[in-house]
Amino acid sequence: MSSEDTSARRRVAKGPGCSGGFMSGSDYDTDPLQYDDHKDGHSKLRPPIGGRVSSGRLHKPYPTPPTSISDFIHQNLEHLPPAIYTLLSCWTRFHKIGLADIVVWDEAHFGKFGSHYLKREFYFDVHPPLGKMLVAFAGLLSGYDGNFEFKSGEKYPDTVPYVAMRVMMATFGVALVPLGWYTAVELGLSPWACHLVALMVLCDVAWLCISRFILLDSMLLFFTFTTVFFLTKFHNQQYQSFSFDWWLWLALTGISIGCVTSVKWVGLFVTAVVGIYTIEDLWDKFGDLRMSTRNQLRHWGARILCLILLPILVYMTFFKLHFLILNHTGPGDAQMSSLFQAHLVGNDFWRNPLEVAYGSKITLKNMGWGGGLLHSHVQTYPSGSTQQQVTCYHYKDDNNHWLVLPRWNGPAYNPNEELRFVKNGDVIRLQHAPTTRSLHSHPIPAPITKLNYEVSCYGNSTVGDVQDHWVIEVVDDIRQGKKESLDRIRSLTTRARLRHEVLGCYLSAANKVLPQWGFKQIEVSCVKENDPDDIHTYWNVESHWNDRLPAGDVKHYKSAFLRDFWHLNVAMMTSNNALVPDPDKDDILASHPTDWPWLRLGLRMCGWGDNQPKYYLLGTPLVWWGGTLSLIVFVALLGIYLVRWQRRYVDMDATGWAHFLYVGKVAFYGWFLHYAPFFIMGRVTYLHHYLPTLYFSVLMSAHVMDHCIFSARWKEKTKRILFGVTAFAIVANFWWFRGMAWGIEGPVNEYWGLQWRKVGFFSVVMEACDDNWSAIRLSF
Amino acid sequence: MASPGRIRNRKPIGTSRSDNYDQDDEDHVNAVYQRPTARSAFEQALDTPKASAAVVGILTALAFALRFYKINHPDQVVFDEVHFGKFASYYILRQYYFDVHPPFAKLLFGLAGWFVGFDGHFSFDNIGDSYTENHVPYVGMRALPAILGSLTIPVVYAIMKETGHSTIVAAFSACIVLFDNAHVAQSRLILLDATLIFFMALTIYSYIRFRKLRYWEFSVEWWSWLIATGFFMACAWGSKVNGILTVLTIGIAVLIDLWDILDIKKGHTLEHFWQHFLARALGLIVVPFIIYLSFFYVHFAVLTYSGPGDSFMSPAFQETLIGNELLMHSQELRYYDVIALKHRDTKVFLHSHPDRYPLQYDDGRISSQGQQVTGYGYEDANNHWQIIPTKALPEAGRGRVVQHEDVIQLLHVNTQTLLLTHDVASPLMPTNQEFTTWPKDDHSRHNDTLFYLDLIDGNAGDTWKSKSGHFRLVHVPTKVSMWTHAKQLPDWAFKQQEINGNKNSVEKSATWYVDEIVSTDSNLDLAEINTPKEPKKLGFFRKFAELQLLMLQHNAGLTASHPYASTPINWPFLISGISFWTENDTQKQIYLIGNAIGWATCVILIAIYVGIISADVVARRRDIEAIPEHIRNRLWNSAGFFFLIWAVHYLPFFLMSRQLFIHHYLPSHLASALLAGSVLSFILSDTINFPISVAGRRTHMRPSEYADLGTKGPIVVGIFAAIMFAMFVFIAPLTYGTPGLDGDAVNSKRLLSSWTLHFAAKNT
Repeated sequence: MSSEDTSARRRVAKGPGCSGGFMSGSDYDTDPLQYDDHKDGHSKLRPPIGGRVSSGRLHKPYPTPPTSISDFIHQNLEHLPPAIYTLLSCWTRFHKIGLADIVVWDEAHFGKFGSHYLKREFYFDVHPPLGKMLVAFAGLLSGYDGNFEFKSGEKYPDTVPYVAMRVMMATFGVALVPLGWYTAVELGLSPWACHLVALMVLCDVAWLCISRFILLDSMLLFFTFTTVFFLTKFHNQQYQSFSFDWWLWLALTGISIGCVTSVKWVGLFVTAVVGIYTIEDLWDKFGDLRMSTRNQLRHWGARILCLILLPILVYMTFFKLHFLILNHTGPGDAQMSSLFQAHLVGNDFWRNPLEVAYGSKITLKNMGWGGGLLHSHVQTYPSGSTQQQVTCYHYKDDNNHWLVLPRWNGPAYNPNEELRFVKNGDVIRLQHAPTTRSLHSHPIPAPITKLNYEVSCYGNSTVGDVQDHWVIEVVDDIRQGKKESLDRIRSLTTRARLRHEVLGCYLSAANKVLPQWGFKQIEVSCVKENDPDDIHTYWNVESHWNDRLPAGDVKHYKSAFLRDFWHLNVAMMTSNNALVPDPDKDDILASHPTDWPWLRLGLRMCGWGDNQPKYYLLGTPLVWWGGTLSLIVFVALLGIYLVRWQRRYVDMDATGWAHFLYVGKVAFYGWFLHYAPFFIMGRVTYLHHYLPTLYFSVLMSAHVMDHCIFSARWKEKTKRILFGVTAFAIVANFWWFRGMAWGIEGPVNEYWGLQWRKVGFFSVVMEACDDNWSAIRLSF
Repeated sequence: MASPGRIRNRKPIGTSRSDNYDQDDEDHVNAVYQRPTARSAFEQALDTPKASAAVVGILTALAFALRFYKINHPDQVVFDEVHFGKFASYYILRQYYFDVHPPFAKLLFGLAGWFVGFDGHFSFDNIGDSYTENHVPYVGMRALPAILGSLTIPVVYAIMKETGHSTIVAAFSACIVLFDNAHVAQSRLILLDATLIFFMALTIYSYIRFRKLRYWEFSVEWWSWLIATGFFMACAWGSKVNGILTVLTIGIAVLIDLWDILDIKKGHTLEHFWQHFLARALGLIVVPFIIYLSFFYVHFAVLTYSGPGDSFMSPAFQETLIGNELLMHSQELRYYDVIALKHRDTKVFLHSHPDRYPLQYDDGRISSQGQQVTGYGYEDANNHWQIIPTKALPEAGRGRVVQHEDVIQLLHVNTQTLLLTHDVASPLMPTNQEFTTWPKDDHSRHNDTLFYLDLIDGNAGDTWKSKSGHFRLVHVPTKVSMWTHAKQLPDWAFKQQEINGNKNSVEKSATWYVDEIVSTDSNLDLAEINTPKEPKKLGFFRKFAELQLLMLQHNAGLTASHPYASTPINWPFLISGISFWTENDTQKQIYLIGNAIGWATCVILIAIYVGIISADVVARRRDIEAIPEHIRNRLWNSAGFFFLIWAVHYLPFFLMSRQLFIHHYLPSHLASALLAGSVLSFILSDTINFPISVAGRRTHMRPSEYADLGTKGPIVVGIFAAIMFAMFVFIAPLTYGTPGLDGDAVNSKRLLSSWTLHFAAKNT
């Protein structure tokens, strides 16, 4: 569609066609002053009002309803190729899907999380809940009872319908192919290019492989694809703003954004693509002086409603569901606030005696987002005072137990005396129950945050000094309000700070992780600055045991959804950032982002024994390399066109230029925004993080091929031959590597090692892998 | 991709003002026309060359006074003088050292030290070491940055004058830098930043002079300022790694400029464009690069003796240094030599002893129960291994020398067993192969005892040398590389270090070398080896490439946490400083912190600038042109250039993961002072000096305008300078480190609670 005005090429422009608005077809109306001498030329080119869109699929009037069967077939003939591709994709996705009857790769995680939903136990994970809820739903539909542990590499028992679950997950993978096709159609690519997109999506081994297991990636990819598809649909509705279709596609884009971010946070990147598109679009409309203010506001309002509020609502809805389903205690309790935990079925916090007294045994929970329990263990600091370590830790064990005792130089605690409750402003001593040492601080720099004082455990039940004294400063009580109105310390609800009596510093745990000698637990230190708003210095009593006090009542405790929602999200964020490369451990599965575009290495997904099917996550090289190459070609082309434009050569008419830019920008922004952030993130990265990114490079390769070959001035025969060669190469490439996704049976060294040796560097990769992959893998 | 607005406007941001000369807008002419004598008396008086010279003279004198005041205090090593003072003494001693920063500024310090008679005997080991007790002429060395720091002030003034701002605005910008405590503290000590900032300012100045000559293209002045830009740019880059940001700034400005020249509406031919392109390539790429190289040339020429930096470098490099250990003791290895091998990173010997691996480890895995092979840190007869050939050898001669890629066996001398590895997991890492030994007479495992020698950067035919011949030992059948890591084995191996086979056969940390030849049966006398040898030669470019690469790697590797490191977002707001030096007895301290008034002014004016520009963009999108064209051009071009300098010197730090300090913001602070002046001028007056470029032969003459700030200009700036000075004096005890402060005084100086000052009184 960009080749109508071919005669205009290589001509120094003095008249029409020299503008080429950079953004889309409709923004060459600015700066009339600068354009004085060309003004007439522009106005001729200005697209008719109402038909602003000159990129994307050309709008065709709707056909009349079919009156005969042949009419109907004729009208729907265009849907035949995608239908065939979809059937083919069903075959590739479902073929031998149950071959590996063991827990493969991260099925260990996501299968397990699915089971938690079925058992309704609260768990904690770095990913939002939608994907795992869908896994659980698949389990529910297929009759899985949730009682399998999903230990890595373990054989599935008969009670686990893993094939059915995998098939349901793979269905998301099947849908990628028609989505790819229709997105290409909506982008306005030629039929040749649409075929290429569908073929590449169908034939990529990595996408195939990752869709065939109980993993989140197939859903992440599915929602990424739908987001782009809805966006392109919406773009093509721009000629009829505020029509029903316009609203429909805009709202669907918003919902899709909500879903993709609810599967994995990587979905934020595709959200950013939609964001950039929308900002450009609105900026464009902002410059349209003919548009009424009312319409301007409506445009802004529609975007805010559908692309900001709606996704947030969708995202929060899934969390609400998450909390509703998971109402029993489970392994993830400790990540949440004490109040939230009190409400889970099976938790006995509410049995805690209400008010803390001297002699009580308590656990202290840090109230910072994702904070843990105050913990100590017999290991000592390797530097500083070399006294016993004090840390913050999420898991519940006896080392979190502290006894509340009076100060050294006052009357000692006597179990038989009258009960004395702890009050605001009291000076107390906290004795670590298992080791009988007291919580202690001194003017020695803390191991990580060197500006703070170190906190340690020192002495024993009879030996200690004034450095063991802590003053309780109540902040407030969530149930009872301001501190003026309360006197005693209540478990769970009272927020308090602990001030060191001698040094005046505050006990704090601010998500700084100790090195291996501290078992990667969180550093506890004493912060000198008195910042009353620093939530990391807030603590509450979580568990509370005191035989001399009556048990509490559940009605004292209640937690708000928004608070829990926010708390869980911050905790997810914190753990996600904590997945940093561990210098002590050589994670052979991790890879660096620079390895991805050229597919320098793959990822071994399961054990490598002779008698089990083996899976290896590696893309179809032609698709990956072609995609990366096309990005470079696009940038080069753009550079050349811009320079030529600066010299007033006309390569394309305005429509062609707008189309070239529109498709190119969707693909390039998408690729860039999905790729560049991985360089900035400090966390461990793996090959499968590139899979959503790949989609945009696939779109780009189809676009570049389309621009340079299928829509350019070549003979029809040449185009046909070039398409045939490309398509054949992709399919052949896929066939060559199909085993990696379908599973390789038999010993590697005979059958597979030899095969890859021919391909060169893959052999190196194979040998570099090792067998204890499961021990290393933490998450993702 | 480029921002859409920029391309559509056809008049890229920050470039030529020549459009104004082209489009003669008749209405505009009258509006702009103004007589120079119609301005306020103040403006006219200050605008004369004499007045301008007086102003700049006073400012410069003040700058010298503030930077030289008590420069001899403290007579102790302060903060990073530990490093840079030391490097200066290495230049004087001509001993090789290694640092992440390029050598220019340090060479200057070396030169300054040599000038004032420093003999390099003092090594600046700890903060607080006394200079006077050690007879170091430190004042002379500190004078260098103080002079450069003082001279920065007139350059700032000149930049503002050259960009068409009135005298009083130029003085305003200069005052922000002049009275800034951070700039003063930084330039009174032996630190690199003053040099960097001075040359950065000169680069900006030269580039502006160059741009103003654009209608006199290819004239002598034009060429001079172009080359000067390149020269100063190289000096900035050669002073500190951050100087690369100055290069980047100029690079971006030049690209925009070239894009503009390319525009066909300018009417230039492509040949003309290429001439411009090549001229800039010469002046801003070739010239700076040659100068940058020449710094390194001098660096290598001066540092000819072995020093503390040896071990960073490759063996080939080390052998060029006089007195280097490798050079002294390196010797070719022959078959049947008995040697001791050492791991490069962890410095342990390859060791074996008759004890065996336990049958089962704690985690349940099974071992081969073979003889232990470990890493041991001390000299021991069990570290001795003999090189056994796997091919027939001639009786004597070169054929007996071990070469790159030779397949060898290593025989453990004490137990007469051969080193072996096999597909059994190592004790600590299930992913890596176990190393053990095998009796030499039992040939059943012959293949597993074969290793080939992979010399680092080796070529076929290179010989294996002790000390200098770094190598990997790669197992022939399984391709694993002998490797060790700083983890100890349990008691059964006497807490020695684990040796295992790393499956990455080109692993960098799997590098070993021969530490010592214990005995040799060759007819060479071992004693002969120890006679001094001539240093070898290595091409300058190979040396340069190696050093440059290492500098980059180490710079990125500076990630250790530091108590006074801060994140970039805190810098403009002066959230925290750096404690440079403290003296407990007198409660004196030097704390690097800026002038709160100056920094706040800069931040506010930057925010205003961004606001004005955004409002302008938005308004023009709606076809509202609120700002007259020539003033708008000044805002976009001159102030835009200052903003570009600020952003390019600041934003990249957000992407860096190395440890960062507030003094990294000082170049940006200087740029923000320039921008602040420009914005102040915009706020106070709607007139500018115009045109400021030198008109060429074919330039249309334009009606000119003169900036007139009226009486409010001097008043505002005068009051501002007074407040700045007051604030400077208030913080001065922290800047000069004298007089000592008692607790309450420290508390009162703590303007923000986040300033981590010492000797503060207890909060009550």
